[in-house]
Amino acid sequence: MILTTMRLSDGLVALIAILLSVCAPAGSAQALQVTDDRGVTVTLPAPPLRVVSLLPSLTELVCALDQCQRLVGVDRYSNFPASVRALPQVGGGLDPSIEAVVALKPDVVLMATSSRAGERLQALGIKVVALEPKTHADVRRVLEKVGALLGVDDAQRVWRVIDAGVSAAAQSLPPAARNTRVYFEVNNGPYAAGESSFIGETLTRLGVKNIVPAKLGPFPKLNPEFVVRANPDLVMVGDYNYVGMEQRPGWSGMRALREKRVCLFNRDEADMLVRAGPRMADGARLMARCIADKARTP
Amino acid sequence: MMNQRASAIGLVLLLIAAVLALVGAGVGSTGFEGVLHAMDEPVALQILWDIRLPRTLGAWVAGALLGLAGAVAQGLFRNPLADPYLLGSASGASLGVALSLVLFGVSPFATQWLLRLGLTAGAFAGAVAGVLLTLTLARGVQHTLRLLLAGVIVGVVLGAAKELIMLARPDFLQSMQSFMLGSTGYVGWSACNIMLGTWMLCMAVAWALSPVLDGLALGEATAASLGLPLARLRRGLVAVLALATGTAVAQTGLVAFVGLAAPHLVRSVVKTSHGRLILLSSLMGGALLMAADILARWVIAPQELPVGVLTAVLGGGYLLWLMHRRVTARGLL
Amino acid sequence: MTLVALHAHSVRAILGNSEVLHGVDLALSQGRWTSIVGPNGAGKSTLLKVLAGLIPHSGTVTLLGQPLASLPIRMRAQQLAWLGQNESSADDLTVFDVAMLGRLPHQPWLSSPSAADHSAVELALRATQAWDWRARALGQLSGGERQRVLLARALAVQAKVLLMDEPLANLDPPHQADWLGIVQALVEQGVTVVSVLHEVSMALHADSVVVMAEGRVQHHGAAHHPDTHVAVEAVFGGRLAIHSVGDQWVALPRL
Repeated sequence: MILTTMRLSDGLVALIAILLSVCAPAGSAQALQVTDDRGVTVTLPAPPLRVVSLLPSLTELVCALDQCQRLVGVDRYSNFPASVRALPQVGGGLDPSIEAVVALKPDVVLMATSSRAGERLQALGIKVVALEPKTHADVRRVLEKVGALLGVDDAQRVWRVIDAGVSAAAQSLPPAARNTRVYFEVNNGPYAAGESSFIGETLTRLGVKNIVPAKLGPFPKLNPEFVVRANPDLVMVGDYNYVGMEQRPGWSGMRALREKRVCLFNRDEADMLVRAGPRMADGARLMARCIADKARTP
Repeated sequence: MMNQRASAIGLVLLLIAAVLALVGAGVGSTGFEGVLHAMDEPVALQILWDIRLPRTLGAWVAGALLGLAGAVAQGLFRNPLADPYLLGSASGASLGVALSLVLFGVSPFATQWLLRLGLTAGAFAGAVAGVLLTLTLARGVQHTLRLLLAGVIVGVVLGAAKELIMLARPDFLQSMQSFMLGSTGYVGWSACNIMLGTWMLCMAVAWALSPVLDGLALGEATAASLGLPLARLRRGLVAVLALATGTAVAQTGLVAFVGLAAPHLVRSVVKTSHGRLILLSSLMGGALLMAADILARWVIAPQELPVGVLTAVLGGGYLLWLMHRRVTARGLL
Repeated sequence: MTLVALHAHSVRAILGNSEVLHGVDLALSQGRWTSIVGPNGAGKSTLLKVLAGLIPHSGTVTLLGQPLASLPIRMRAQQLAWLGQNESSADDLTVFDVAMLGRLPHQPWLSSPSAADHSAVELALRATQAWDWRARALGQLSGGERQRVLLARALAVQAKVLLMDEPLANLDPPHQADWLGIVQALVEQGVTVVSVLHEVSMALHADSVVVMAEGRVQHHGAAHHPDTHVAVEAVFGGRLAIHSVGDQWVALPRL
């Protein structure tokens, strides 16, 4: 008689336990915690299904992890891949339309650390994760964070592919092109990409030299004389910034300009080169191709 | 004896300019390097001749143009707060540069012309267009208050248009900022010569028309009673203003404060008629911009500071000190 | 038969949105001093500006027989000098330079002052007792000193007709007396002087008085004539009384 009762109560307890574990909402076992670049730890009950991205590189990272379909809204400047252009745009990355973001009912908003909109959105109860990849190492780190956030464990593999792509681009360069001295102009000014910038890192990995040393910072505004003195072997510049470069006083004598060793990038290519995102391998490949093409062969 | 004092100050300013020219020729991408030192290597000599010398002299001429324009503006509007950018030239030039940047690549025709003329043509055309727009809005030069108001309106509207373009194309933000804050980075000999020629023309016309500014200082009705053809002369002065400002802005960007401060600095040491004021203001503006440019290139070489920031610091600092001295001397406040 | 220096015929003028002069007919004799009096808002300054050719108007004005409108402005400036109410901001100019501006109508463009210009300026500055401080800047002077310099500027033109709007502003009584002496000396030389004055007593020293009210000329006659005095008193609504004091006429408020 007692045996039967015990078996019954055991069974009841077991049944309740099973029911609880099945029916409990994704409790602490399945909760996600991510510490963003502000040092804020954001907790989500489950992997977010509706994501708004306010930074083009973050948009690309989400899509690189094959989670493009989770994006419900992007900022005005996110333009890759082509599918995100059809998504609702909520304004600029730094000053999005709060109303538009809220209307999309996102589970999480990905944005840059320098955006003020984060506080407003958080005050309205929206989860905000601030990440801003600026260096090669950042891309890996942010990729893994986004992967963790989205509940996807593909991040490491995706990174390995990107990294391998960059190495391959470096290896594709003939040894003669290795010591090419490059001047990368980012904007009229002239603003150059130094060694410590994202582009500078890519160039370093490709094995070429940057005439702008790291101590000048990532994007210094240079004295034009400095570039003439340094006499780069190769000039890289956006085609719209190339306007009038040869008319700059003293620049027409520069060997790279005289011999037309100039790599011109159109707007889309420039976007790809500048963004610290998953396309850095494509960017490296683009630069490598041009370097191999235009560099001096002794 | 005021005339003697004025002449003395003019000579001092020219002397300062000569000294600064020598210093400026020595400030290269690694800070100060003596000119003699450059005589050894041909590359360095070429850099000195092609880049540093025209930049330094160009800074003087641009400053001279802005100082001239500032004195003319303050005389024309009888307002010591007037500056050369009042009639929409600054906002017009900015919009011109923005449109040039945007049009590049849109059509091969536009691209080809832009490659030939560069951004300077866009800036100049924009500056002149801005002034013409202001004149049209004010319906002529007769009413200074209307001119001022029209200038402010044009400035705001064209500025907003430029901001919209920047919003749509944020990749140009840095280039625009470089233009807005001013730089002599791309001033070569041809730019120098254009500015010099413009300066001589504007100086001659302004000198010839300066009696009308003196007459206007007595009041408009009095000036008219003295037989001065006010409308015609005002138009001439506005043309000088537009030409001088447009040329300077096209070559060195929007350098702030020189046009405003130079006439005040001159008036603080000598009181004189408008003709001499315009000349001295021009010389003062040249010295001011030259000094600021040298500092802009020197302080964090090989990086450069925007020269507009330094003109504000130098000119503004000196004016503040003057004000302080004047206030404590009179025991006011 | 005295010649007419200035003749206004059916002159109407608008200031802002309203008509300020309603059909003024006036003939001012040459070589005489005429003063214009009237209450505030009568249109005195406007009339003076019309006579000087400074504001647009309908009707005609002739200067020394020639229609003002068809006279080239430089010729007009040589024959007609105008001293307005103080609107000057020429603080930086020296007294000498300000007076020299009066010679602009006579100077060929872009030329430096001639000996004649210098002597005219010296005469004018001495007449207003400003010669001794000719190197001082206008901004450093008191109100009265400034006014004397501006008067010197108008005198330096050496025009045949001199129009003055409230020339006694800021002048203390001794300098007002000086001004009187200057005007009387000018008239003796054949200059036509027209002045708008609100100091009625001073105005009564003139040869003839024009009495204005509400944009119309109410009376124009000799200063010493009783009809003129009646007109003056009437136009001020009887709040003014003109008395004889010694050999002068003096206007006093009627308390």
